[in-house]
Amino acid sequence: MSGIDPIGQMPGLIQQQTAQNGVREPDGETFAQTLTQAVARTEGLQDKAKQAVQAFNTGESQSLHDTMVAMEKADISLRFMTQVRNKAVDAYKQIMRMQV
Amino acid sequence: MNILSTMNIGSSALSAQSTRLNAISSNLANVNTTETPEGGPYRKKSVVFRSAPAFENELTTREEIQGVRVDRIISDDSDPKRVYDPSHPDAGENGYVEMPNINVVEEMTDMMTAARAYEANVTSIKSSQRMAMKALEIGR
Repeated sequence: MSGIDPIGQMPGLIQQQTAQNGVREPDGETFAQTLTQAVARTEGLQDKAKQAVQAFNTGESQSLHDTMVAMEKADISLRFMTQVRNKAVDAYKQIMRMQV
Repeated sequence: MNILSTMNIGSSALSAQSTRLNAISSNLANVNTTETPEGGPYRKKSVVFRSAPAFENELTTREEIQGVRVDRIISDDSDPKRVYDPSHPDAGENGYVEMPNINVVEEMTDMMTAARAYEANVTSIKSSQRMAMKALEIGR
């Protein structure tokens, strides 16, 4: 009967298994990082549009089309961000509605 | 994003065409100009376009696809038109005035082609915008 391992050794084993199968930090970018980058990009385009409008209104820039294109880029980018946000909120709601 | 590259290309073309339109309106404005800082009558100006990369650090777009920019503005050195007008202050000894080598009809047709090219590029920008909107509809 000496072949049975003492139960005291078990917790270490359990811990090891959780470390292998449980939630861990992902290696690459996290979703939050990706989202932050996307927001930063949108913000950058918004800022460019703002600068373009300002430059046009102060007469610094004469190019109407560049201003319009900058505004259009900012618009598309914002719409895209809104869609990303909708998706994220949808996913959250799906999980919250889950039966436990 | 490729959609935004289309806009950059279109935008570069719009800039180029509006510079061309500037040259044309300069030609039309100076159709009767006999005095210039460099001496002699005004000379017809035209623009030379050159393809140019139109992207700021876009990795997804192929290098071969390029925008356009105005390379230089050239002066037409063909002979000025000679018009008999002895009362003109710039008339030569034989009564002939050297007028700019500009043909108004030519300038008008150039203006129309510039305007059409501008419109075409606006249409390409608009269609890239429509494509982006359609792509966003996937998520709806």
